Amino acid sequence: MARQIFEWDYTNYPGAKKYPHVFSPIQLGNLIIPNRVKYAATEDNLNSHDGYITDEDVAYMRERARGVAGGLCTMQGVYMDERRYGQGYVGQAAAWDDKFIPGLKRIADAIHEERAVANFQLMHCGRVGGVETPFCEGPSFLPQRLRLFKPVHEMSHEEVEISIQQHIDAARRGIEAGFDVMEISGIVGYLVSNFLSSYTNRRTDEYGGDIYARCKFMTDIIKGVRGAIGPDIPLIIRICAWEQLDDVGGNTQDESMIVYQEAVKAGVDSISVTVGWQESIVPVISRDIDFGTWLWVPENAKKFVDVPLSMAYRLFHADMADKAIADGKIDYWENCRPQIADPDMPLKYLEGREEDIRWCVACNVCLARLFRDAPMTCYINPTCAHENDPSYYPQPASTKKTVFIAGGGPAGLECAWVAADRGHEVHVYDDREKLGGTIIDAGLAPYNDDELYRIIEFHKAQCDKRGVEFHIGEKLTAEILEEELPDTVVIATGADYLRGNGAPGFDRDNVISLTEALYETKPVGDRVVVWGNRKPGIGCALALAKKGKKVTLVGAERTVGKDINPSFRWRYNMFLRQNGVTSYNDCDIAEIEDGRVIIMTYDGHRVPVEADTVVYAERGPSAFAAELKAAAAEESIETYVIGDAVVPRGLSGAVHDGYKIGLRI
Amino acid sequence: MSFDAEKEIAKLWAKCQAVQDENRRTFYQCREAAIQMVGDGADENAIALKAWEIKGKDVAKSYLPRIRMDKPKFVENIAKLFVNSWRNQGAVVSVEPGADENEVFIVWERCPWPTTAKQYGAPMTEDLAGCDLALQTTIADVALFSNRNLKIETTKAIPRGEGKCVRRLWLEQ
Repeated sequence: MARQIFEWDYTNYPGAKKYPHVFSPIQLGNLIIPNRVKYAATEDNLNSHDGYITDEDVAYMRERARGVAGGLCTMQGVYMDERRYGQGYVGQAAAWDDKFIPGLKRIADAIHEERAVANFQLMHCGRVGGVETPFCEGPSFLPQRLRLFKPVHEMSHEEVEISIQQHIDAARRGIEAGFDVMEISGIVGYLVSNFLSSYTNRRTDEYGGDIYARCKFMTDIIKGVRGAIGPDIPLIIRICAWEQLDDVGGNTQDESMIVYQEAVKAGVDSISVTVGWQESIVPVISRDIDFGTWLWVPENAKKFVDVPLSMAYRLFHADMADKAIADGKIDYWENCRPQIADPDMPLKYLEGREEDIRWCVACNVCLARLFRDAPMTCYINPTCAHENDPSYYPQPASTKKTVFIAGGGPAGLECAWVAADRGHEVHVYDDREKLGGTIIDAGLAPYNDDELYRIIEFHKAQCDKRGVEFHIGEKLTAEILEEELPDTVVIATGADYLRGNGAPGFDRDNVISLTEALYETKPVGDRVVVWGNRKPGIGCALALAKKGKKVTLVGAERTVGKDINPSFRWRYNMFLRQNGVTSYNDCDIAEIEDGRVIIMTYDGHRVPVEADTVVYAERGPSAFAAELKAAAAEESIETYVIGDAVVPRGLSGAVHDGYKIGLRI
Repeated sequence: MSFDAEKEIAKLWAKCQAVQDENRRTFYQCREAAIQMVGDGADENAIALKAWEIKGKDVAKSYLPRIRMDKPKFVENIAKLFVNSWRNQGAVVSVEPGADENEVFIVWERCPWPTTAKQYGAPMTEDLAGCDLALQTTIADVALFSNRNLKIETTKAIPRGEGKCVRRLWLEQ
């Protein structure tokens, strides 16, 4: 008979009425889970380098457990070998010895204290492992496609058998630690997937050969783990339904479906459907991929297996998940990055507080950090990975102040709601007719960059709830400061677009600003040079190229998009190529003449480029910010400068600055 | 300010050639340094070949992300990677078709490497063996990665006085 660990009654929650499928129970094996929300395993690099669980990781997991509101909460995958070939992240948790059980128990207990179901994941990182060893290991030696990863040691037959036993032993430790569900990770290039794929498994022994033989490593693990955990613990496996490795001879989709069937035959109760490897050249989860793009994948898999299926990729919203469940495409909703951005996201849906959700912008900076051995961070969630530090959370202010904020962009608004939350009286001034600052302009770039504006919607809702007063269309001036004498001024005016670098020709009529070009308030010719090869320039270049312009990007950065995190920069490079944008990096404009621009390379060479219009998209310090700062100093008002007004950066700097100053006032 | 295109191109071209020359000189300077560090009894040929092997390995690393096995003309595409590499080093090199799409010939009409070898007193046998080893090493890794039986052999060589280098690149069935 099926059992249930925690009783949840969702009857009176508005979200349960709105999303009845998401907030209905599901049975995995012999376990009933109260809802259909799953937090997917996420590395966070918060644990010690020898694999012990830290207070920071426990706190991180506790918040995500609270967020799933009774659903399934998965801890990060553990590596299982003392040699550490399976360790793919410097702060990855370990389970290669019983000595790790007490630490793992802390995670299970934290999840249980939030009345969620605790899922334990086994994750040998295989071909992308060995983060602190000279080698990683895999079924076969073949050179790495990405220089980031270590050379592969080809596992002997004995080492394969040892690895299977290590999975089994680690599973037993997970159960002893108190976890309720067991999961095997076989995705994106980790060891199980290495054995499954024709790309990485060239073995001639019983673990290699056709797709059925390549499944043996996986099925041996499934059977062994099942033996160790018993029949009542649900067993999940995460495996690729489409490796996206056709260019290097990876599994076909038909082969992947055979893998699914073999996994079910071997004894799994559920499959988490994934797409793509880290070595795939096709994007899967970046912002340019439309929501719901991959739903056809589990829908197709359902024709081959009859166990519950879940999927995470680009399925951020409960309405999509609810419909997908109703339509029979998935059985439960998995998410990862949205709960990095907002740990309480599903809970807020349940409670009918959707306006309080801080949305993930799919920038992948979380991944970029992990690959560079840094602790997890989130582009738009300042508290991510600081859950154990009370100073990162708003506390009531000891002295209530009147706070005037100049600028209704992400920095100003983030600061506004946090300061108001702490009890301050907050006024936001912005001379634009709409809140959002630079993000309004950034949203005009193609490839779903309009998603960025959702952070502003979050901010507006938070400000409204806390009584922040908006002065829209009104600029905070020295006169207002002198008249009103607020206790504190926060300058969040953003940066200025610089009209040139002093080179001749920048005063011509065909030289226009980024906003003039994007909003077409001035004519834009067919041949355009965009000056500035950072985010704004790239977005503007792409927007103009999409309108059929021949665009040339010129900028001082040595590579285009130096201010974009590496896990997303490759996408922009591809967009620029696809749209025929030529880039001159490490260059500047030497002169603007009739019908052409002379570009100067870093070492003094001059290159002529035909241009009807020059758009300046390079940013510098805000003149207004300096003026306001001086005016505030004149009145001896406590002053903070935040966001791009400090130095031009991006949305993340703005949000993090705003949050921290909101805490400090 | 006027813009003299001919002058700009001439300056750029001269700089490009200087970089190409410096690249080869650096290789032979490091070879010389390694031989002197080993001292008496140094096996010059073995040292040079090891350097060429490392070069071949590193070249393969740069090729692997560019390999697309799902595209037609796999062999020709690999050959073009070599062509681009050697053009960047100052060679005049092109791809010529073979008997079918599984065979091509890479033809070096001119290559600056033997000249530099002479300048540094390296024998032509070493230059040829080194270049061959680099190509073989690269192809071995490309073949391993792509799981295809890709082969390369030298049929003509400038260092042997044959006027040009010709390498046959083929997929053995």
